[in-house]
Amino acid sequence: MPSPIRILTAVPICDGHDSAINTINLEFIRHGIEVVYLGYHRSVTDIVRAAIQEDVRAVGISSYNGGHIEFFSEVTGLLQKRGASDIKVFGGGGGTITQQDAAAMKRKGVDNIFFAGTSLAEMTDYVRTQYGKPRNKRPRPRSPEQELAHKLSEIEDAYASVSRKRPTASAQRSRSNKTVRHSSVAIRHSSRAERARVMGFTGPGGAGKTTLIDELVLRFLNQNSRGRIAILSHDPSVVGEGALLGDRATMINSQNDRVFMRSMATRGQAGGLSPATQDCLALLARSGFDYVIIETVGTGQEAMPFQKNGVVDQTVLVMNPDYGSRLQLQKIVMLDLADIVVVNKSDLQRARTAHTEIEQRLEQNGRDQRLIDTVAKRHRDAGVDQLFKLISTGR
Amino acid sequence: MTGTVGGIMSKLGQVVEAIEKYNKFVLDQVKRARSDEQFGRELLGRWNDTKAKIPITRTPTGVPLPRLALPEIDEPGEIARYLFGEGLPGEFPFLNGAYREMYLEPIREVESFEKNGETVAARMAPVKSSNARPPLPQAEEPTRLFSGLMLAEDTNERFHYLTQHQRTHRLSTAFDGPTLYGIDSDADGVFGKIGEGGVAIDTVEDMMRLYDGFDLGSPNFSASMTISGPAPIIMAMYIAAAKRRFGPKVVPKLRGTVQADIFKEVQAQNETIFPIEASLRFLTDMVEFTTREMRRWYPISISGYHIGEAGSTPVQQAAYTLSNGFAYAEMFAARGIPVDQFGPRLSFFLDCGLDAEYIALARVSRRIWAIGMRDVFGAGPRAQLFKLHTQTSGRSLIAAEFKNNLTRTAAELVLAYMNATNSCHSNSADEPFTTPSEEWIRLAAHGQAILLEESGIFKHTMNMLSGSPGMKAVERAVEAAILDEFREIARLGGVLAAVEDRYQRSQIQSAAHRYEQQIYNGTRPIIGLNRYRDDEDDAPEVKLVRTPRQKQQLQVDRLAKFKKKNAEKAKRALDRLADVVERGANCFTVLLEAAEVCSLGQITGRLQEVVGRFRPMV
Repeated sequence: MPSPIRILTAVPICDGHDSAINTINLEFIRHGIEVVYLGYHRSVTDIVRAAIQEDVRAVGISSYNGGHIEFFSEVTGLLQKRGASDIKVFGGGGGTITQQDAAAMKRKGVDNIFFAGTSLAEMTDYVRTQYGKPRNKRPRPRSPEQELAHKLSEIEDAYASVSRKRPTASAQRSRSNKTVRHSSVAIRHSSRAERARVMGFTGPGGAGKTTLIDELVLRFLNQNSRGRIAILSHDPSVVGEGALLGDRATMINSQNDRVFMRSMATRGQAGGLSPATQDCLALLARSGFDYVIIETVGTGQEAMPFQKNGVVDQTVLVMNPDYGSRLQLQKIVMLDLADIVVVNKSDLQRARTAHTEIEQRLEQNGRDQRLIDTVAKRHRDAGVDQLFKLISTGR
Repeated sequence: MTGTVGGIMSKLGQVVEAIEKYNKFVLDQVKRARSDEQFGRELLGRWNDTKAKIPITRTPTGVPLPRLALPEIDEPGEIARYLFGEGLPGEFPFLNGAYREMYLEPIREVESFEKNGETVAARMAPVKSSNARPPLPQAEEPTRLFSGLMLAEDTNERFHYLTQHQRTHRLSTAFDGPTLYGIDSDADGVFGKIGEGGVAIDTVEDMMRLYDGFDLGSPNFSASMTISGPAPIIMAMYIAAAKRRFGPKVVPKLRGTVQADIFKEVQAQNETIFPIEASLRFLTDMVEFTTREMRRWYPISISGYHIGEAGSTPVQQAAYTLSNGFAYAEMFAARGIPVDQFGPRLSFFLDCGLDAEYIALARVSRRIWAIGMRDVFGAGPRAQLFKLHTQTSGRSLIAAEFKNNLTRTAAELVLAYMNATNSCHSNSADEPFTTPSEEWIRLAAHGQAILLEESGIFKHTMNMLSGSPGMKAVERAVEAAILDEFREIARLGGVLAAVEDRYQRSQIQSAAHRYEQQIYNGTRPIIGLNRYRDDEDDAPEVKLVRTPRQKQQLQVDRLAKFKKKNAEKAKRALDRLADVVERGANCFTVLLEAAEVCSLGQITGRLQEVVGRFRPMV
């Protein structure tokens, strides 16, 4: 079974019209497509960088604010310049893009433009037939980044090809432990000095993991003028096998040439990660980054996504102050395992109670676990500063 | 000193209570009028007196009509219900209009006055009329046309074209994408967007070109600038440009408005560049300045239009707009600006589409605003007025058989005037494809003139179409639904908390989705699209307005020259700005200085370094 089709969607810079693309994204994922959504007001550079890192089959651009001929051409031009002309470009803009415009855009390398009145089914069919075929022989990667992106795709594809039918989570976990193996086995034993420090972030959905990571990335970039960081971010596959990989849309600081980000769908595996995660992570860890951050999907109480003795060096559990009764804390397995526990949204009324209760819960463990309160949405939040310091210096 | 804006904006619950209390007060007055004989007589006397003072004029076809139509009631309870529940036009709670006569043509000759159903001879001396030309109304024309294209000089030319036959010059400015997002024309990947969908403004010099030839300090001039994210910066550039052309004394004379509505950007339009609290702080800094130094300026236009265009229901539009308005009022009051100073400087902007709610949406909004401002914020009469600009619905216009858009817009205009909007913009039929071209703009503008000047619907009699049983039914339903929305927002902790919780945004998106589904499944008929479709209809032949590359290059070159010329000064100005922002003081005065020598993108960038960037909500 081939991997699901992966595409990237975005709205151009200076354009906030996201209502059409929101509807279209949902339709795509309902039909088994994995959509990396980059959000609105996105520059050509951001789109092309994301498309290459995510190694998508195509980029869909929804433009309603004019200037589309230039914008689309710049995207195709930059993709070509970066040696990624196998990534196709399509899009639409309701009535704002005329037939004449579309013809001009096609001459510049755009695959297809959908006009006003095109049904959602037509668009979905188009994407499935045009971008669902197996890839032709791939052009030689033009950059290490592109090479890395291609390799990650190979790992994901290899796992997809062995999962003929959807197995139960436990069966799958055991299989993924013994079947598909790549060069990554060797990586585990590579010396720690060359290896990136790997940080695992997990926690319930809506706790603010993505925002927190983005804020940490900002601090990292400001502090290390040449440092590089990789993010492996997960979102759940839905029934029908599509997935909305939307973390990039809110990550304003991580759209940067020194950040390599890859979004992965869980593809039927429970527990917060994808069958291919371990291998992808191992590959990223030896690819010259200072840090690799891995973010799980929003997890439940029983989740323990990071393998013992795995490649993750330090684990962070991000909690929301609204976890329910105190008793609920006893059931959260990660509270036993995490090295750092973060209570995000600590501006909420309940945050103080949460801090006290979690602190007490951690004391039971008798380990040296750290508890930090943050308000990740706040610019220059002192709690995030403290977390960054703890991660980067161990203090 | 600027306090934080968090923790406030929780007065919405009180507004709900005030409306409920007022409605009960009206019912009590009705009962009292029926039981308390003296009170009943007083009301009847007042009613008859009011009617007696209504002048009657003759239509050109010879029919005598009162300047104000009132319901035919003579029972004290009903009179109380009308006077307290609706109010005469221009009287609290302003259901029928913010002002007494709205669009009526000036009185040329009073035929008589109405009294108890009979007429008595005119007591007012007839106003002399010249044969050559009918006297024009003293008020400004309600027509305000939105325009903005290519570079400043091109928009300037369009402004002169649009106002060539108008006494008053009311310019409404649309900005291009880079300007709306606070970035410069030389930013990465925006070249093709320069001058598209609006005018490109990077510097104070562009701002001078934009309004060249107009007398900015004249009482007949007003400028409207439709921009929110970087509104304080653009406002500073406008003031700087005015000072360069007319000297510093022009500042208190400046008239106009800047949109500056951050809440609706976060809820619907996505043109937000700073985190919400920082945006609100810059806004309040600006409002503090303009209420003190520019008494004739409207520093914010609280806008439901974009909420409606993003797909909200009419009720959501009104509810979020009003609640945003109350939240701003609370914020400005918390800064220490007296409500009677900022209240009269608030104005509103609503969408008018074809759904039934639009028959009374603005009427109900006006009433809720007046009661809330009076009873919760202690506002005096001038600060109770819901001054409204309406624009016909852009979303209702479609590309297929686009000439039908003329009819859609005309119907929406009738609804807008039935709501006694203070000013109005009518959309051009070619909007689904392009920045409107002159041919279709002219038709749109003339649509308003035909309704107001040519037809007799709005020029002879106030309330010509108000008060029908259907309209009353819509008013009741809409008010109840708006209050329900208020209760939910109050429950979430007020407007700011609800915004951060994505409440309004999610509601709007879900309504938008429903609307699209209705079009797909045909339960919402759209003529020419899902009903009576003409498959022969080819792409319409409209003249597209696009910005040529040379012009875009010219803008980039001019910007480079400006930056080079001011490099040294800009650096110092930006440092001062950052310092004041960092300290938390009102930054508008230093922003004014920065606007003299810095580009929009330079200022935005520096501010973002201090306060951060807006994180999109998806």
